[in-house]
Amino acid sequence: MRVKKMLAAGMAMTMAASMVLSGCSSGSKTSGSAANAESSTATGETAGKNDIKKPEKITIMVNGTVTTKPNNREAFEKKWEALTGIDLEIIQPDHDAYFDVLGQTFASGPENWPDLIILNGSYYTGYAEEGALWDMTDAWNNSELKASGRVTGEEVIDNTKINGKLFGFPVARRGGCLTYVKKAWLDRCELKAPETYDEYLNMLKAFTEGDPDGNGINGDTYGVSAAGFVGQGDPSSNYLPEFYQDAKPNFEKGEDGLWYDGFTKDNFKGALTRLRDAYAAGYIDKETLTNGTKDCRNKFYEDKFGVFTYWAGTWASNLKNNLEANGKDGELVPLKPIKEIGAYEEGTAPVWAITSSCENPEGVFKYFIETMLDGGDTQLLWSYGVEDVHWSKKAETILDNTYAEGQFHTKESLEQPGTQYTKQHLDPMLSIVKWDEDPGKDTVKEEAKVSQELFNKNCRQASIIPSTDVMATYNGDLTTLKNSIVADVVVQGISIEEAYARFEKEGGAEWSKKIVDSLNEQESAK
Amino acid sequence: MNTKKKGPAAVAAGNQKRPLLVSLRYYKGFYLMFLPVLIFAIVFHYLPMFGVRYAFYTYKGIKEPVFVGLQHFEKMMKMSGFWNAFGNTITLSVIKLLLNTFMAVVLSLMLNELRSATFKKVTQTIVYLPHFMSWVVTASVFTLILSPSDAGLINALMVKFGIVKEGIYFLGDKNWWRPMFYIINVWKDTGWGTIIFIATLSGINPELYEAASMDGAGRLNKLRFITMPALSNTIITVLILNLAKVMNLFESVFVMQNDAVTQKSDVLHTYIYTQTFNSGALPDYGYTTAVGLTASLVGCALVLICNKASQKVRGRGIV
Repeated sequence: MRVKKMLAAGMAMTMAASMVLSGCSSGSKTSGSAANAESSTATGETAGKNDIKKPEKITIMVNGTVTTKPNNREAFEKKWEALTGIDLEIIQPDHDAYFDVLGQTFASGPENWPDLIILNGSYYTGYAEEGALWDMTDAWNNSELKASGRVTGEEVIDNTKINGKLFGFPVARRGGCLTYVKKAWLDRCELKAPETYDEYLNMLKAFTEGDPDGNGINGDTYGVSAAGFVGQGDPSSNYLPEFYQDAKPNFEKGEDGLWYDGFTKDNFKGALTRLRDAYAAGYIDKETLTNGTKDCRNKFYEDKFGVFTYWAGTWASNLKNNLEANGKDGELVPLKPIKEIGAYEEGTAPVWAITSSCENPEGVFKYFIETMLDGGDTQLLWSYGVEDVHWSKKAETILDNTYAEGQFHTKESLEQPGTQYTKQHLDPMLSIVKWDEDPGKDTVKEEAKVSQELFNKNCRQASIIPSTDVMATYNGDLTTLKNSIVADVVVQGISIEEAYARFEKEGGAEWSKKIVDSLNEQESAK
Repeated sequence: MNTKKKGPAAVAAGNQKRPLLVSLRYYKGFYLMFLPVLIFAIVFHYLPMFGVRYAFYTYKGIKEPVFVGLQHFEKMMKMSGFWNAFGNTITLSVIKLLLNTFMAVVLSLMLNELRSATFKKVTQTIVYLPHFMSWVVTASVFTLILSPSDAGLINALMVKFGIVKEGIYFLGDKNWWRPMFYIINVWKDTGWGTIIFIATLSGINPELYEAASMDGAGRLNKLRFITMPALSNTIITVLILNLAKVMNLFESVFVMQNDAVTQKSDVLHTYIYTQTFNSGALPDYGYTTAVGLTASLVGCALVLICNKASQKVRGRGIV
């Protein structure tokens, strides 16, 4: 970890030095760019369509979700430049050190900021609050992309607005987790897929006390496992949605437009009770607290439990394949959300944000972000990569799969030989635009398609939580306290009353109120 | 030129009055060899110290830092999380230090008694090995060994022999986490800690033991009157040097921590980590720097206090 941080720091210094020496992104920036950007951020003004100038060069800083060097980023870059006629500079730190390097770059001054960056979660809201991002609301509203009528995920875009303003553009959905059940286990226990919490609990009981794996021993399996009891603020890491139902441990905006802390609501107490009772009954993996997601996956493949809430889409195929590789039955039933949940929750999608030091933000929006979803060659490039590097239509055999001439298929991964690419930056299954010409739509495995479609049809967008100074001050302590209390109730079995008395005594209630007040103040100041 | 003809003692004595430039020129070889170390120390140890000024600023890494005086320290004093982490850091570190040192001394004495050189070397190698395992690997191994499920070796044995009915969640139970933490630390670092004590033991003049034997001293008396006094300086030195690190506890705790045991395990550096990455907002590096600075000052104070105590008790310190 330390080595990575040192590398990250070294990279940031090298990058800052190279930018200074090269005159900061050639012609795309000027010395007065920061001031210029501040004014455009403040007003949110966007030039008229005809005034938008095509940038000569765009500098982007991206994480490992964009085609990496080992995957022949150079070919990707050349192809993009050929398609757009714009010089592209890609700064791509190590994926795990991305936010460290990004922070160091921003700290080094606006003259070193790239034009575009990828952000998610609290980084997005935090950077926006600090005035580091360009307000692209008008650019989006006046865009050809919006006018095209091809956008199917406007709710995803709306959900990334902070106080009504769009500071980053989600080029795809975030996706999320749904619950998978082993079909063979259901069949052996003569159960149907559960539709209510009672049926769900009954299924867990049967999986825990019966012999769902058919090895002749009752009670050597359990119902469900998860990596921790509380997701870290991101709904995608809520691996026990059937127990939480409509309760959330973090901040949420109510229908009345006011913010509240879900932890302080009665429905959260109900969720804690459900979790505690199921844990005590042995339905939930005893090691949930210390599990990582990989531990859970391995246990699932080894048939230690039968119900697993995990990512929809490609992971449906991965789970199936790994179960079969372990000699188990790989058929999984993706569950519709049970009645008490209503809908799975989809987290806020990562966004492409234009920095406030970008000299031609309208041009960058139009020629970089919009083209990414053009339904043509550029979208194809962002989705599947470069022809004959990442995908091909030639007759060939890739890893035991034989393809005929003209049949679209992905190539063997350069970075991970022995596996085939499934996508590049954009996952077509998570697309927010209609793309009828997607050449790879037939290559998506059935189970992946089914699970993703089921999720997309049965999900709601999680609220984006703005960042406030009060939140920065207290939320770290508050989150630690909340997580500790949840673990106390579920694992140590303490009463709900004791738990909330501790919340009050250790300052949680006070911090929570302060944060809620700050969020509501910010809301009313809009 | 004349100095070249003098002996080393004369040169050393002469250097006391020698001008700096002349001295630098005379010992240029040594200074050149020292230069990389000096540059390394300045770049990586001293220059970063200027960062402590952020403890008095609010700084989120984007806008210019804003001076806030002692505001972060005031907040720190009011936060129960900080005090919990502070107490845990002291408790976990000091107990770990005492246990590790004690076990290292005991193991060194045992190794010193071994007569077969080959067996001694093999044993030493085996006990040194855990030190080279990363904490991530160590935590994974012990999570498995201590698992409450059938896969956990300890629980499986205890259930089999009827000691417990159901497996104990050692790493997920507030009452068990700390004892497990100490045991794992002892397992990992005791062997490595013996090196310095074994070196001291091998330096004790054997004639002392022979004379004691002739005076009728048994093993215990030799241990009491020869070995332990000889080891005591080393023990004090090791303790004081390690005291400087007591506030730096992080990795070993971080990899074994979970939500159920935060109250017993959260230390200052895991607290800083939480404040930085789990606040749901851009972290205020000013606050986390203030916490880090406090930890450093406390560590420094502990060393000075112990050194002073050592000076009073033994007549000399090591700093």
